[in-house]
Amino acid sequence: MINLRDAGSNFWDKLNRVQRTTFILVILGFVLLVPYMDTFGPTSFVNTPIASFRDALVYPVGMFVLMGLGLNIVVGKSGLLDLGYVAFFAIGAYTQAILSTTTSLNMWEILPIGIGLAMLSGVLLGLPTLRLRGDYLAIVTLGFGEITRIVVLNSNFTGGTNGIPNIPPPPKIGPIVFDIMNPQNYFYVVILMILLTIWMVRRLSIRRAGRAWEAIRQDEDVAMLMGVPTLRYKLWSFTIGGGVGGAAGVLFASKVMVIAPGMFDFQVSILILACVVFGGIGNIWGVVLGGVALAYIPERIRFLTETRQLAFGLVLVIMMNFRPDGMLPRKKREKIGEKKKEIK
Amino acid sequence: MSEKVLELRNLTMQFGGVKALDDVSIHVNKGEICALIGPNGAGKTTVFNVVTGVYAATSGDIVFNGASILGKKRHLITKLGLARTFQNVRLFGDMTALENVITATDVHKKSGLVGGLFGTPRSRREERESKERAHELLAFLGIDHRADQLGKNLPYGDQRRLEIARALGTEPQVLLLDEPAAGFNPAEKTALANDIKKIRDAGYTVLLIEHDMSLIMGISDRVIVLDFGKKIADDIPSKVQNDPKVIEAYLGAPADAS
Amino acid sequence: MNFSVLTSQFWSLMLSGISLGLIYVLIALGYTMVYGVLRLINFANSEIFMVGTFAVVFAETGLTGNALDSEPLKGIQLILTLGLAMLIAMAASGFTAVMVEILAYRRLRARGSNRLASLISAIGMSIALSEAASVLTHARPQSNPRLLEKTSLGEIAGANFRVDTVLVLVAAIVMFLLLDRFVNKTRVGIAIRAVSMSEENAKLMGVNLNRVISVTFLVGGIMTGAAAFLFMTVYETTKFNVGFSLGLAAFTAAVLGGIGNLRGAFWGGITLGILETMSAAVLGSQWKAVTVFVVLVLVLLVRPNGLFGEAVQQARA
Ligand SMILES: Nc1ncnc2c1ncn2[C@@H]1O[C@H](COP(=O)(O)OP(=O)(O)OP(=O)(O)O)[C@@H](O)[C@H]1O
Ligand SMILES: [Mg+2]
Repeated sequence: MINLRDAGSNFWDKLNRVQRTTFILVILGFVLLVPYMDTFGPTSFVNTPIASFRDALVYPVGMFVLMGLGLNIVVGKSGLLDLGYVAFFAIGAYTQAILSTTTSLNMWEILPIGIGLAMLSGVLLGLPTLRLRGDYLAIVTLGFGEITRIVVLNSNFTGGTNGIPNIPPPPKIGPIVFDIMNPQNYFYVVILMILLTIWMVRRLSIRRAGRAWEAIRQDEDVAMLMGVPTLRYKLWSFTIGGGVGGAAGVLFASKVMVIAPGMFDFQVSILILACVVFGGIGNIWGVVLGGVALAYIPERIRFLTETRQLAFGLVLVIMMNFRPDGMLPRKKREKIGEKKKEIK
Repeated sequence: MSEKVLELRNLTMQFGGVKALDDVSIHVNKGEICALIGPNGAGKTTVFNVVTGVYAATSGDIVFNGASILGKKRHLITKLGLARTFQNVRLFGDMTALENVITATDVHKKSGLVGGLFGTPRSRREERESKERAHELLAFLGIDHRADQLGKNLPYGDQRRLEIARALGTEPQVLLLDEPAAGFNPAEKTALANDIKKIRDAGYTVLLIEHDMSLIMGISDRVIVLDFGKKIADDIPSKVQNDPKVIEAYLGAPADAS
Repeated sequence: MNFSVLTSQFWSLMLSGISLGLIYVLIALGYTMVYGVLRLINFANSEIFMVGTFAVVFAETGLTGNALDSEPLKGIQLILTLGLAMLIAMAASGFTAVMVEILAYRRLRARGSNRLASLISAIGMSIALSEAASVLTHARPQSNPRLLEKTSLGEIAGANFRVDTVLVLVAAIVMFLLLDRFVNKTRVGIAIRAVSMSEENAKLMGVNLNRVISVTFLVGGIMTGAAAFLFMTVYETTKFNVGFSLGLAAFTAAVLGGIGNLRGAFWGGITLGILETMSAAVLGSQWKAVTVFVVLVLVLLVRPNGLFGEAVQQARA
């Protein structure tokens, strides 16, 4: 099998600054055109049979990538197994739904509130539970995800089973309007959020926080003994990851306009986790690829209504057995460094 | 020369029925190389584990610079100035040698995650300082050429050296070395002995667990002997060497020449 | 909120809590045994349970000539039919468990891959199994005929001992005791315990790791299958996703008691069953999962190794 990770980083290493900028601009330009691929003859094969292509680009594709990146901070960077990530998504979505229907705040104003609430719940859940190790954390987070769903399902302020209808879309920014006719604009917002998240993760990764996470992931005992305040950094990774999920939720609610508890079940947590692991845990580009693959392919083959999920499960098993580190495994910096030296 | 930096007072550490340390009172003086020896299972590593907060002592007290550090969190103990290496090398294998050391130097840095995210001047300065200091330490131990290699890919001897460099990265007052020469050949042992002396001369205090008698006798200022969790000797090397109790402890136990 | 039920129906709630808890115990054993040897949450255990419940439906409808409304059986015929159905459920679950190990875990273990990969692989297995069941049953609930007439055997302190309740009590405790003996007294059982304590030492002692792990899955699966049979005898209906909530509860029970520890699973399961029943009575059944979760977190904060887990020594530094 070709080694995508090395091929990619070799390619990147060979480029100079101008070439890199051009490359990024071209990719970005391409991404902006993606929503129109379904109507452009040669690429129309990408069209999704049931959901509208542009809607599918926002949810699940864009959202899964975004949430995958958020969850990757938790699972990939610091090695904390979170099986209830959907809770943060739900908190963001319900914040948007409730505030936008009961107050005069609009989506842009609610966004920081939603992120804040998701992060706050991350702290509240993390403080007692991040002391626990590995699998215990997994079950506790799983429980948290379920609890969030149950609370939402059985409370009045969340509209119970029926959920919350009539969630207004975000107000327009200049010529960019947000409504059902223009799903591509939501897509651009998701892309923006994704880029911000990538920027944040890349930045943190090479700084103190990234080292602390890496140390915690590899050997938490030793990390502590080398002076890493492990609880604090675990809490950070948990809350930042949660914040990204919250942001996704706010945007999601304003896009779909009606939300109900069924959208936030355990399956979502698992799907996002699968995106992360499938693509390449700990590697941003792997997660992006995993998110696109696992969100898009099921939509594309939606005509296989009944056996789609079955196929999905089998693919996970097969993939993990043959590429356990995902499609684009975590980058191993050393190899590149060595190669450079040899060239010199 | 005889100012105590680290002191264990009547320390007992019990695991179920086993008393790994039994009412042990020992101390380390500032600026010395103090060796901690004893047959296998004597409780040497356990001393490190209770001092660094890995195990909670059953009874007794641990005093560092005049204040008790009993029950303090591990990363805070490290921050106060106690750092260690491990009997079985425990590096961050997927990090480069440089990153291993930088991670340790972070303990005294002021800027945290938010500063790093927005690249505040302080954060950038601290990142730069950490990197320089880490390179210095790698060079100090003669492994700066390994800086960009992953910890797990280093040759065994360099892994041991990297562990020392990483511990020094936390700027400890007392450096705790757990069998740093295990698995070394005689030439490597001599080199290591010189490194340890260099570390002492650079102003660090060293508490050293080691099995190799000639290495110990060559560099230690003082030797403490443990046997079955009890202190049986504490003196200058030449006296300890001839102490009948020590000889008996070593002869009574299966000889160990690692 | 209605706290008065706690006093007025205390023993009745205790009885149903314990019998529900015993079903959890048997499923929890599946989780705990696998966790013991592999240090992994066997995510597919909930589907191993689901397969067991379907096996009961097929066995019982098959044995009674496909008549859902067949008359309750009597005497020896009843015992034989129920016994056979139970065996079939245990065999189906045990077989599924062994297959799950081979397909989802073995290769990854041989390569020494990371735990997350195994977890996702198990999750994949779990999705595939439940979706396969969903396709086969068109996602419709499946019921088994009522073979056992659920008469009351008598009342003690307000607790109604129905035949099926008593069956659960007796069968689950017998299964647990059998397992306890198996693990402590037989050679294979001792090998399993050796692997749980230290895989390396067990290998040094000449234990055939693959075989021990297979047997562990088999035994865990058999226990889960027994749970499926008891569940179907009491609740009489199942669905492709039945495993999810029961599996979650059972896993919680295992953690509550101290995962990796058989007796922990026992007491954890019973505690959880009682807790759930009581909180459902007081707060309404929709909130029972919340109570359970909160209690779990509180317990883990005070006793990080579970209620009955021995304090595992911290990793040696
Ligand atoms: N976590 C633990 N749980 C139970 N017993 C322990 C633990 N750690 C150490 N012991 C016991 O305490 C005693 C002392 O162990 P320790 O590791 O301190 O010996 P040591 O002097 O470092 O020996 P060595 O030279 O072999 O490294 C031994 O009997 C050991 O089995
Ligand atoms: Mg030792």
